[in-house]
Amino acid sequence: MSPRRWPFSMMILAIAACTPTASLRADDELPRPYFEIDIVPTLTKLDCNSGGCHGKAIGQNGFKLSLFGYVPAEDHEAIVQEARGRRINFAVPERSLLLLKGTNAVPHGGGVRLKKDSVEFRTLATWIARGAYSAGESDPVVERIELSPREAVFQPQQGEQSLTVTAYLSDGTSRDVTRLAVYQSNEPDIADVTRDGLVQVKDQSGLFAVMVRFGEHMTVFQGTVPFHTSGDASVASSPPESGISLIDPYLGAQWKRLGLEPSVMTSDGEFIRRVTLDICGTLPTPAEIASFMEDASPDKDARLIDRLLERPEYARYFGLLWADVLQNRGRGYSTSRQRPGTALFSGWIRDSISQNMPYDQFVREILTASGNQETNPPTVWYRTVRTTSDYVESVSQAFLGVRIQCAQCHHHPSEHWSQEDYFGLAAHFARVGRKGGFADAEVPTNEVIFLAKEGDVRHPRTGKIIPPRPLGGPDVDANPYVDPRLQLADWMTAPENPFFAQTMVNRMWGHFLGRGIIHPIDDARSTNPPTNPELLAALTRDFVAHKFDVKHLIRQIANAKAYRLSSTPNASNENDLQSFARYYPRRLKAEVLIDAISQVLDVPTNFPGGPGAFPAGTRAIDLPDEAVPSHFLDVFGRPDRSSACECERVDDPSLGQALELVGSTEIQKKLIAETGYAARLTNDERSQTAITQEIFLRVFARVPRDDEAAAVSQFFSEEADRAEAYRSLLWSLIATNEFMFNH
Amino acid sequence: MLNTPFSLTNDTLRISRRAALSVGAPLLGLGLADLLRNRAAAEETGQPKKKQRSLIVFWTHGGMTQQDTYDMKPHSAPEYRGKYSPIATNVPGLSITEKFPRQAQVMDRLSIVRSVHHGNAIHAPSAHWMQTGYFGPTLARNAPQKPSLGSIIARSCGTPGSQMPPYVAVPKAEAFGYQGAVYLGAAYNPFEVGADPNADGFSVPNLSLPQNVTLGVAQNRAKLLKTFDTLRKDIDSRKVMDGLETFKAKAIDMITGEQVREAFDISQEDPALRDRYGRHQYGQSALLARRLVEAGSVCVTVNTGYWDHHDDIFNQLEGHLAPLDAAIATLVEDLTDRGMLDDVLILCAGEFGRTPLINGHAGRDHWSKCFSVLLGGGGLKGGTVIGASESRGGGVLDRPTTPHDVHATIYDAMGISLETHFEDASGRPISIVDTGKPIRELG
Repeated sequence: MSPRRWPFSMMILAIAACTPTASLRADDELPRPYFEIDIVPTLTKLDCNSGGCHGKAIGQNGFKLSLFGYVPAEDHEAIVQEARGRRINFAVPERSLLLLKGTNAVPHGGGVRLKKDSVEFRTLATWIARGAYSAGESDPVVERIELSPREAVFQPQQGEQSLTVTAYLSDGTSRDVTRLAVYQSNEPDIADVTRDGLVQVKDQSGLFAVMVRFGEHMTVFQGTVPFHTSGDASVASSPPESGISLIDPYLGAQWKRLGLEPSVMTSDGEFIRRVTLDICGTLPTPAEIASFMEDASPDKDARLIDRLLERPEYARYFGLLWADVLQNRGRGYSTSRQRPGTALFSGWIRDSISQNMPYDQFVREILTASGNQETNPPTVWYRTVRTTSDYVESVSQAFLGVRIQCAQCHHHPSEHWSQEDYFGLAAHFARVGRKGGFADAEVPTNEVIFLAKEGDVRHPRTGKIIPPRPLGGPDVDANPYVDPRLQLADWMTAPENPFFAQTMVNRMWGHFLGRGIIHPIDDARSTNPPTNPELLAALTRDFVAHKFDVKHLIRQIANAKAYRLSSTPNASNENDLQSFARYYPRRLKAEVLIDAISQVLDVPTNFPGGPGAFPAGTRAIDLPDEAVPSHFLDVFGRPDRSSACECERVDDPSLGQALELVGSTEIQKKLIAETGYAARLTNDERSQTAITQEIFLRVFARVPRDDEAAAVSQFFSEEADRAEAYRSLLWSLIATNEFMFNH
Repeated sequence: MLNTPFSLTNDTLRISRRAALSVGAPLLGLGLADLLRNRAAAEETGQPKKKQRSLIVFWTHGGMTQQDTYDMKPHSAPEYRGKYSPIATNVPGLSITEKFPRQAQVMDRLSIVRSVHHGNAIHAPSAHWMQTGYFGPTLARNAPQKPSLGSIIARSCGTPGSQMPPYVAVPKAEAFGYQGAVYLGAAYNPFEVGADPNADGFSVPNLSLPQNVTLGVAQNRAKLLKTFDTLRKDIDSRKVMDGLETFKAKAIDMITGEQVREAFDISQEDPALRDRYGRHQYGQSALLARRLVEAGSVCVTVNTGYWDHHDDIFNQLEGHLAPLDAAIATLVEDLTDRGMLDDVLILCAGEFGRTPLINGHAGRDHWSKCFSVLLGGGGLKGGTVIGASESRGGGVLDRPTTPHDVHATIYDAMGISLETHFEDASGRPISIVDTGKPIRELG
């Protein structure tokens, strides 16, 4: 909201007009309450306008307020005018229905919200006594709120901090609104906050944020609860010496602040497995592992990363992940009709990544795509993304890292987004035209996407046409000859855009380090701050300075020391979940896991295609869409591609996954295949020790420990059937957590 | 009903399983139902031991309308009362929707709680509230925070000897993730069947030994896996590794044994009984649920379709009400016939009800100030109405009931101490019912 200022003389007049006129029992100790500054926030604080009460779309028992008070004019009318004014009693303000209900003096479905003689009660009564005025043009408005303190470092597992919130008004005055502000912690296990703004540290350590909301103004308190207080002798004071990446100093500083000692560096074997899986979605071969281990040069990590980025599997694997986010979805209509489209789009994504197309250009080509799938494959994005809400939500979540869904119906309650923002973004797509195509079910295929001559978006409440405006950006000039999608792309990819580059950086960080600096990666909000803002800003600047070069970004991250840390915790960092003081292990993604099993056993998976099968050797990471039937992929969490949220891909363990390992024919078929690795071993003449070594390198990227080698020998001496012995050994290694996880 | 050997229903003298045991029950003129009941009795020898009760939940994701089902308001204005008329049940004075004619005939064995309320009107927090008993997820954090009813039951009652998964979701778990175990550990997440029991050739994926794998081979492989699966699980603080390890052991047990595959083999059921349950997902899911609790599962959640009918509610409901009616009513009859009704609790609930006032789109919106849940079996008193809503259905008129009261009633009937606490991730003990109290009127 733009601040409004009024000449001083006018303000005097306005205040004079509002002074109590008769002998109403106004509370003279209170300053004159203003509707927007005092009354609406009071109703918010008392939960009157929450979604479960009068704030819901149809109100409650005939009394409807705007959700969280975002439309004060309607609220004033509801309170003062509606129901023939019976909610307000000017003669005896305390007997106003508003207060009788709030105090439950007259039976109230919401019970007692308000105590008689409380500050809130007196505020409301005084406001009524002085005329129950709506927001006058001369009323001061809140220009900003300030929080004190804005951050604090606590002792581990103890401490409290009371917050003070001050509202600064357009008339130059300020007032304490601590009682009226609303508070919410994002990590209640680390610290919680009372209704009155008292932050209380719980028994876990780490970083937390408390959202503070007053009207449409928001701010955030950031708390740090160190794992160990400084001076603790058990904690090393210096992080490992910095590597070549710009990342290390930022993490080192944070570890120091939190009293975290990073884990030791991981082994060469574990590292080559980790980075090959993360960049290429593929296991390293025994030969690659051996040559990396033998390499004694200091820059061998960096050269390995460079080599991996040039392999075709890099583009194939990241192509899969981008096809998730870009919702290259096959389900919903006849497979034989849609597969050409998903295949073309997924091929285009792969090629773009392979050419290292700058990220800004990549997104621009998708957003502004016109034509059909043959001439311009990115138009396929418009097949799944086809309604006003699809456009807004997919664009904001995928490219801006923002979840704006709430603002379709009302002001976003934990961010400043309004319906104007939501529909302003939607208006950029109002002229997307569609023609042709084949529709045998819910979604047409092979449409032509074009720029229609006209098209607009209307505000659902006011019915007004909303011009295109990017999130938080300036209005753009409507021009019939300019595609409004181009204007959006221009705004998004400008170097100073606050969301675009940052979202990509955070997404890549989350991919390699297991958790975003902003977490979840697509939920950037002022009230969900990054755990390391300086690091995120530095990486973002670097990404923009390098002209959105994705391979450069990946090099920055993969060369960081944090990415080389062991996943094994030490005493100081075992409870760290936010600061990357060790590598956070995670299960291989569904497609990577089945491919890894295929690779170890040297038997490809057969994937049924639409009319026929995919060519032999097609890997799971190559599949164009999620509609290729595979129980293995479904049970291990392949996403449905029905939204742009990475959260669709889940790694929760389940009994179904275990049954897939133990009982499925999928793995057994690969174990008994005549051309497979297991069958070849049966006739292998090498010594048992040499074969065991190779198997362990192949599966775990390490040699067997003595006890493991002994267990293998023991098993082979007991199992007469040599072929089954190899099958059983390979199966049991594949089913371990060590194989199924990147660690 | 719990301690009475005989209970008089509308026209039949029914004998509870336990009563049949103590009497010996050499009765003449037995029908199939009685034969089944007697077989159940005969299988148990010696002193009747206290049997572990189980729970079957019908979860109405999206929020089922109470006003058009279990709490009708025929005397309110048309914009409130909706399209359906009430019908009498076999319990004098108790009426329900005409769309539930079959439940009306078994209402003496079911009870309706008409005064459930929690006050939240958003799907996710409400679904969390109704299924865990706690308000929790907020806009700042919407991840599941407390374990679900089924997970608590699985953790408290899961029989270590049985190979059955203690907690099963049919056909799969609800989309929010609030049917899970959270800090109880992944072992108590529901096992998702992963297939529609009504589908031709329904089978649970991967529930048998793969080709060329003999029992001996499977056992060898399991032993080897134990030898090599030694990676420190504590490096994964999200406990995915821990969960997988538990499930691997369980899966090996399930596949190397017969019990579980038998239990899921719904084709062993009499086709006539299958027809009575209804040849739709709700009916066959209910039948599968009965087979599973019979075999040892302690909680089976049948996830029914999406009930979020903001628009055109009376047309939308057409596809849901009759199947739900057949599923619940046949389950009650079937459990009765098998002498299992006292051993199996039935709950039908969703995250909230729907607005008493029909909106401008001929739908009903979210309503959590007063709505109904259905409870039955497990020794609970049937034919009872608990609490009441106001004349138009808006608020609770009498005997407010919280989500935790419903849970407490179930835990109490299942022999789970209401003093039970489980430690959350930070080691804080969290009560399973908080301030919830069992509904004594049903005891």
